Amino acid sequence: MMPTLTQYLVISLLQIVVVLGFVMTLVPLLTFAERKVIAYVQVRLGATRVAGGLWGAQQGRLHQSRTVTGGLNGLMWFLGRVPVFSILRGLPMFIADALKLLTKEDIVPASADKAVFVLSPALALVAAFTVFAAISFAPGALFVFPKAVPFLGGLPFNGFLTDLNVGLLFILGIASVGVYGIVLGAWASNSKYPLLGGLRSAAQIVSYEVPLTLSLLVPVVLTGSLNFNEMSTRMATDVPANGMVAIGRTLIMFVGFFVYTTCGFAETNRTPFDLAEAETELVAGFHTEYTGMKFSFFFLAEYSSMITVSALASAFFLGGHHLLPFGIQGFVHLSGWWGGPHIIFFLFKIFTLLFVFLWVRATLPRYRYDQLMNVGWKFLIPYTLIMFVIAALLRYAA
Amino acid sequence: MFKTEEMEINLGPQHPSTHGVLRVKLHLDGETVTRCVPMIGYLHRGVEKICEDKTFFQGQVWTDRTDYVAAISNNLGWVEGVEKLFGITTPRRAHYIRTMLTELNRITSHLLWLGTHALDIGAMTVFLYAFREREEVLSIFEAFCGARLTTTAFRIGGLREDIPPGFEKQVRAFQARFLDCIEEYETLLTENRIWKKRTIGVAPLNAEDAIALGVTGPVLRAAGSSYDIRKAFPYAAYAEMDFDVPTQTAGDTYARYLVRLAEMRQSHRIVNQCLDGLPEGPVMAKLPKVLKSEVNEVYHAIEAPKGELGYYFIGEKGSQSPYRMHIRAPSFINLQALPKMTEGRLLADVIAAIGTLDVVLGEVDR
Amino acid sequence: MASSLLRTLIPFDIYGGMKLTGKYFGKVLLQSNRGTKRTHIVVEYPETPVTLMPRYRGRLQMIKDEQGEIKCVCCLACEKICPTQVITIEKGKKEGRKTPYPTRYDFEMERCIFCEFCVESCGFDSIILNHQFELAAYNREDFSHGTEGVFQNMYDLTPVGHYSVASEE
Repeated sequence: MMPTLTQYLVISLLQIVVVLGFVMTLVPLLTFAERKVIAYVQVRLGATRVAGGLWGAQQGRLHQSRTVTGGLNGLMWFLGRVPVFSILRGLPMFIADALKLLTKEDIVPASADKAVFVLSPALALVAAFTVFAAISFAPGALFVFPKAVPFLGGLPFNGFLTDLNVGLLFILGIASVGVYGIVLGAWASNSKYPLLGGLRSAAQIVSYEVPLTLSLLVPVVLTGSLNFNEMSTRMATDVPANGMVAIGRTLIMFVGFFVYTTCGFAETNRTPFDLAEAETELVAGFHTEYTGMKFSFFFLAEYSSMITVSALASAFFLGGHHLLPFGIQGFVHLSGWWGGPHIIFFLFKIFTLLFVFLWVRATLPRYRYDQLMNVGWKFLIPYTLIMFVIAALLRYAA
Repeated sequence: MFKTEEMEINLGPQHPSTHGVLRVKLHLDGETVTRCVPMIGYLHRGVEKICEDKTFFQGQVWTDRTDYVAAISNNLGWVEGVEKLFGITTPRRAHYIRTMLTELNRITSHLLWLGTHALDIGAMTVFLYAFREREEVLSIFEAFCGARLTTTAFRIGGLREDIPPGFEKQVRAFQARFLDCIEEYETLLTENRIWKKRTIGVAPLNAEDAIALGVTGPVLRAAGSSYDIRKAFPYAAYAEMDFDVPTQTAGDTYARYLVRLAEMRQSHRIVNQCLDGLPEGPVMAKLPKVLKSEVNEVYHAIEAPKGELGYYFIGEKGSQSPYRMHIRAPSFINLQALPKMTEGRLLADVIAAIGTLDVVLGEVDR
Repeated sequence: MASSLLRTLIPFDIYGGMKLTGKYFGKVLLQSNRGTKRTHIVVEYPETPVTLMPRYRGRLQMIKDEQGEIKCVCCLACEKICPTQVITIEKGKKEGRKTPYPTRYDFEMERCIFCEFCVESCGFDSIILNHQFELAAYNREDFSHGTEGVFQNMYDLTPVGHYSVASEE
């Protein structure tokens, strides 16, 4: 049954709300997870104080538990005793963080270029969020509205916003607009440290765009498509022509995954490539002069591009909506529920990759500016070019 | 229409990685440093002048507050300098306990350096691991003298009190696991390719320049010279200790890192020897009721964690306080090597250089 | 040559570091925050009391003997030895007491550096540094301690809870 235009628009709107809502909740949760994961790695506890701390149930006694906050405190204090789940202790922190950013005084430096200063965080944020239009969280319909639902009954609710046939191109194009937000914001601040941070960031993102795109060309060549859904499904489940091609495919996806993730770290300004905001060198880099909501726009942009990078990596290299990574599903046949595409698999892979982002941040030192360029131009670009040639050969052999 | 000029940028006095209130004026051509001028004095309290008004006994509390991460080393320099001035002989047991605490203090100082230096370069976890061990040593200080940082640990002529009960067990518990902890730091850093890239060949200082600039301590030893006052002019109980002076020849940040890690291992060795060979006896010498100095002058240098820490006293006839006191602060003199190490290099190397020099601003400004 | 190339391509060094940090993450995750066996090093201070060593140097306190009398005999040793001159003593007499009695014993805590020289110099064991470390206050007067007048707080602990959250309850 084809939806009418109005029905189509309503469903699209609902989908946009769901996807944006998902991203907007995931980002604050990710900041909370970052604090907790890094704290646990560093044998600390991290944020435990918002509830379950200072004014909470003291000495283990659940007093004040009749009020809502008292009950929350009691719950959080209790969580501290449970292994594994104790990581959720202090969870209301992410709300407190958001509230703090919202209520902070919004300072615009006197000598800043006001219009650009205000616009650039928005530019970064819009670029980072628009990307999700082309990312498919589930290949088909997530669910079908039951007949009982008025107006929308019987229509499918898809796991993606659009099924662009140039989806990958769209993602890469929009994502690279984000760097303008950073550069313009740094320039408009009219301050020295942001300027240095902005210059670093511009050079870094522009030069890492090349190996990033080259490494994504591998799945493009192997599948012969730019459509997100088709690429991810075919990368996961294509049955190779013979054994050699199958091994070659798996190997190149395995290597390609690491190369792509490395470039992704650089592209999202994360450790070990977080030069643009290297706090020990440039105070806070490009967003030194930003406060309050404007700062949090940059923050949201960075974290949601982390989600984008993880989504692309898991879609094209880790098997996407299917269970097994690196194209293994093509020659290992899983039956029943485990064999099918599910949003759960996809989300699980995204969350695992996000955890790796945080884990790496806790472990590694940071490259120097010129060394970063060396790694990009002298190491990653030749590497990805070779991969590209091998991928083309595999395609030819298949 | 277009012109190019060098950018002048102030690194500090409020900057995340200048370790206090150091201000470095940098001239940048792009990211290359063309001129680097350390500017000091933001923490000047006039310790040398204050000590002229205080008795020799009281003056020790100000040494806690110069290099505040190595307070026990400073205390040792002060009390030994004063003992030299008055010709007091300290009991052997006191010497051993002093040596042990000073070496533990060297460990805490190097741990703080390791943590902050790694944090400057971006490895944030080493900081917390280093502080975990540092806390344990600070508890040992607390058990011995009641304070963790501003220790005022020793007295002229010996120690105030003998070691408390349970102290040896506490130290041995720390000693038992400390070598494994150093292994952990090494796992995170020594072989790491990013760490190597950030430190090998960065901020080099050869032995000739280092000696010309008066640089001492691990920075000098990393350049190839094996000058260590503990060996050259033994004080406290170091003459009876068996330890090596670790040296490297490269003179870069990585060499200094290796030297300091090796020094922590040597300190660990010395502490073990002190515990094993701790002699019996009193910890305090018989002192005259009031210390009165004749007119004479004394320079006493010890090997503080940062380098040669010297106390220079001129006594005044009949007075209980020094006529003039001067501290040869290793941080202050090592900091003067910063322009030599960084000019012509990148901004990120300045951060690594400040970290690797291990300056404490309380000692630089005094 | 081949092995060095292999080491460049496959990051064993980074793997070692990741393994260590991952090990600690797993350890802390699998233990409870407040169990008896724990890897993390956090002391949740206001709820969990801090253990201090017996020799800890806290605030200056005067102690009384069994009869409730101040032991101080105004020898002024502590006043003389104090490097920052925070102790002021006025010598006086009290009826029924042979030894001198301090009519005024002022201790200005805001300048005290907690070196314990005063306790060391005291020949009559009349002062100690107690184990109190929650010494923050809102008013300058709260730092002035004395024996007479408004500030009769040299004999007791500073009322904990006036300053510290540990007292809530």
